[in-house]
Amino acid sequence: MSNYETYLTLGVAIQLASFFLLMLFGPRLGKPWAGWVAVAAMASACGLATITLVGWMGEIENGTAAALTAAAAHNQFHWADIGKMPVNIGVKLDSLTVIMYFMVTFIATWIFVFSVGYMAGHSDEVAGKSKFHRFFCYLSLFAFSMLGLVISSNLLFLFIFWELVGLCSYLLIGFYFDKKFASDAAMKAFITNRVGDFGFIFGLMMVFFFLGTLDLDGAARVFADQFHSQAGIFGREYDINLLGWHVSSVSGTTLATMMGIGLFCGAMGKSAQFPLQVWLPDAMAGPTPVSALIHAATMVAAGVYLVARVFRLLTPEAQMFIAAVGCITLTAMALIAIVQTDIKKCLAYSTLSQLGYMVFAMGCGAWIAALFHLMTHAFFKAMMFLGSGQVIEGCHHEQDMRKMGGLMRKMPVTGFTFLIGVLAISGFGIPKTDIGLGGFFSKDEILAVAWDRAYMWDEPIEDHGGHHADIASASAFQLVSFSPDQEHGDHGGGHDEGRDTHTESAGEHGDAHAAHGPVIEQPHGKAAIMAGVSALPRWMFWCALITAYVTPFYMMRCWWLTFMGKPRDQHVHDHAHESPMMWFPLVVLAVFTFVCSYAIFRPLIADAAVVASDAVMVVGLDGVAVPSNDPVARSEAAGAFIHLHEAHDFLAYAVGGSWLISFIVAFLIYRNGLEVGAKLKSAFGPIATLLERKYYFDEIYGFFLVMGCRAVAQVCRAFDTYFVDMLANLSAKITERFAAFSGRAVDAYVVDGVFNGIAATSMDVSDVFRSPQTGRIRNYVLFATGGAAIVILVLLFIDGSSGPGVVLGASGGG
Amino acid sequence: MFIVGLTHYLILAAVLFCCGVFVMMTKRNAIGILMGVELVLNSVNVNFVAFDRYRPGGGFDGQIAALFVIVLAAAEAAVAVAICMNVYKNLNTIDVDRGDALHG
Repeated sequence: MSNYETYLTLGVAIQLASFFLLMLFGPRLGKPWAGWVAVAAMASACGLATITLVGWMGEIENGTAAALTAAAAHNQFHWADIGKMPVNIGVKLDSLTVIMYFMVTFIATWIFVFSVGYMAGHSDEVAGKSKFHRFFCYLSLFAFSMLGLVISSNLLFLFIFWELVGLCSYLLIGFYFDKKFASDAAMKAFITNRVGDFGFIFGLMMVFFFLGTLDLDGAARVFADQFHSQAGIFGREYDINLLGWHVSSVSGTTLATMMGIGLFCGAMGKSAQFPLQVWLPDAMAGPTPVSALIHAATMVAAGVYLVARVFRLLTPEAQMFIAAVGCITLTAMALIAIVQTDIKKCLAYSTLSQLGYMVFAMGCGAWIAALFHLMTHAFFKAMMFLGSGQVIEGCHHEQDMRKMGGLMRKMPVTGFTFLIGVLAISGFGIPKTDIGLGGFFSKDEILAVAWDRAYMWDEPIEDHGGHHADIASASAFQLVSFSPDQEHGDHGGGHDEGRDTHTESAGEHGDAHAAHGPVIEQPHGKAAIMAGVSALPRWMFWCALITAYVTPFYMMRCWWLTFMGKPRDQHVHDHAHESPMMWFPLVVLAVFTFVCSYAIFRPLIADAAVVASDAVMVVGLDGVAVPSNDPVARSEAAGAFIHLHEAHDFLAYAVGGSWLISFIVAFLIYRNGLEVGAKLKSAFGPIATLLERKYYFDEIYGFFLVMGCRAVAQVCRAFDTYFVDMLANLSAKITERFAAFSGRAVDAYVVDGVFNGIAATSMDVSDVFRSPQTGRIRNYVLFATGGAAIVILVLLFIDGSSGPGVVLGASGGG
Repeated sequence: MFIVGLTHYLILAAVLFCCGVFVMMTKRNAIGILMGVELVLNSVNVNFVAFDRYRPGGGFDGQIAALFVIVLAAAEAAVAVAICMNVYKNLNTIDVDRGDALHG
């Protein structure tokens, strides 16, 4: 076990320890010490994560990271067997784990600090008991589950932690459970997630059944093998039988797609993708730090993380499904965000839209771009949520933006950091330069890949020239020149070239790659599977592009309404203030939004991509797919800026200035408050209403699902009342009758008779024995003497010749 | 000449025994009953000594047994008198027919 695995595991264990400590001794620790315990646990995990991150970057420099990843994959602890399949616990150690772990611990640490300040100002008593410690207890449990999820190397454990984070989300959304809307929201979140998890467990069952292993790497390996040999899940047609009737038959490829979609269903629930998006806005009923941590930065991103982890199990059709879902989500939710008046709800819909971007990117095959966006988004969205928490706290629990305005002077730090977040999410940057915030680069990458997939797919990519020309041609083949109708076995020269590169590098770096064996055996697993991928429908690209204009608009609207303009509610304005413990985390996260995003995340994720995902589509965003075993190519990919010149030229004009244009529009509309906005709203009447009612999703679900459930419940109730109750009453009647009979006949005569008879006989017998017991000594003496006399007489008569005769004889002799 | 033999001793003992038993049966006075018991015990003593005397082979076993009985009788008398006193304390009489609390 390398040090890194130890660090990561230790960090997880610390959270569990903190959870138990707070659970057992929380009430005694009280306010605010219970909070500081959780902060200390989280901070120590963050320290471990930082050590790991720094060390890991060194390993990548030295080229030893891949060997460590492989060593970790072999270093598994055998936990149990399911049938003949062993289930192993292990740490998935690669760049994605390391960076994700660091992101979660770092953000969580500052959110925990913020929470101590935030919860201090909240009345948290229910029935006279403080819930303060309970909040941090749940947070620690969440941290444990989330970190466990990140380091799991096995789908089964990933699923267990997956459910645990769902539970924590439920507990924390319903933290103010004495309020009806909070407990309702918690239930809604939990039930909606159950729907997604049903699909997830369905996908897991298929992985278990067809691939025979739940190990992430193992499953991907088996999947690739089966694809190459057209065996296993790809092997034959499968019949679908329902109650003995043959319904239809599906090809193995369709089944593989269903498996991928099943796994993605879990992500749809957790990342609140269409059509399961309804729970996330309601989840804002939880305390704001929870919204920041769980419902913006970490847990909702777990869905994207899951897709990244099972990326190699996805068929092109499954990816297309994912892209469609992501595309619908990102567009539809961004439009809702325009009309929101609640500051947290606005951020929640923005989160949904950004998650849609990530999922869309995954669907396009832009593995790196999706995770890059996840990381940058986590930082600035957590920061904005904390900022909104500060605003809500400072404004006396006012969440309505219509009553705010002009808070910049009262809350300068919050307003300024919030503005940085707005700029970051809007994609602030200057096209064709390296100047820009994280969101600019990550969204640009997503759009570039989408454009590439939508417009450039059927044309071979041009040679980029320069020193990586051969890599580009080898990989461009993998990426692009596979047309859908080509058989996968019938590869052209490009493939051979790729293979040569791979063989050479395997020879040169034999040690490092011997441990990395599986990848060598199936270097083009995902690439081959993706050969059949078709071009992205162009409307998806345009949806994503137009949404890039919507995002800055609603974010600027949100910021302007909150912080600028004239105060619209004097009471709220007078009350507004900032507290240091709450704005300090904001500043830290803002600094990291600036610094970390491109410098650290992008290269690490690129490295993770080449190691973890067979280096395929992932690097597609550069137009350069690299064989994963080639260190030169890997460093190229890791350090690569965006090479897709045409895409970026186009995007520079198409969306480069989107933030500026949308900012100006938002400024013009909301400069003087709400009047212009209200006029526009009435002009767009029905559409605005549609958006305000969130496309009537709640109503539709309420009608079809909730009412449906109620109808079923009514039927069940009728069945209970009329059938089950009838049976029960009937059996009761029969029992009663039988009891009456047995009571009167059997009990009274037979049972009682026997016992009374025994008692009476005992009385009679004892009377006989009682009568001689007179209590008079004379009588006893008489009995004794009489008895002795009788004995003597009997002896005499029984044997007259002996007994007394002897005595007499002897006396006669004397 | 009339020789006193074992038979005579035995007859004497039997008469004594019967007297003792008769006293125990008829007397209501506790002390009287005690006296009857003494008679019975002494009749046994007579038997012991007589058998010892006429036993072929000699020895003193019977005499020793008689001594034991005497000692035992003395102890028994002490206990019995103590019981009588308690009976008197409780019932204000030593009529044993009144002490029939344990009758069936």
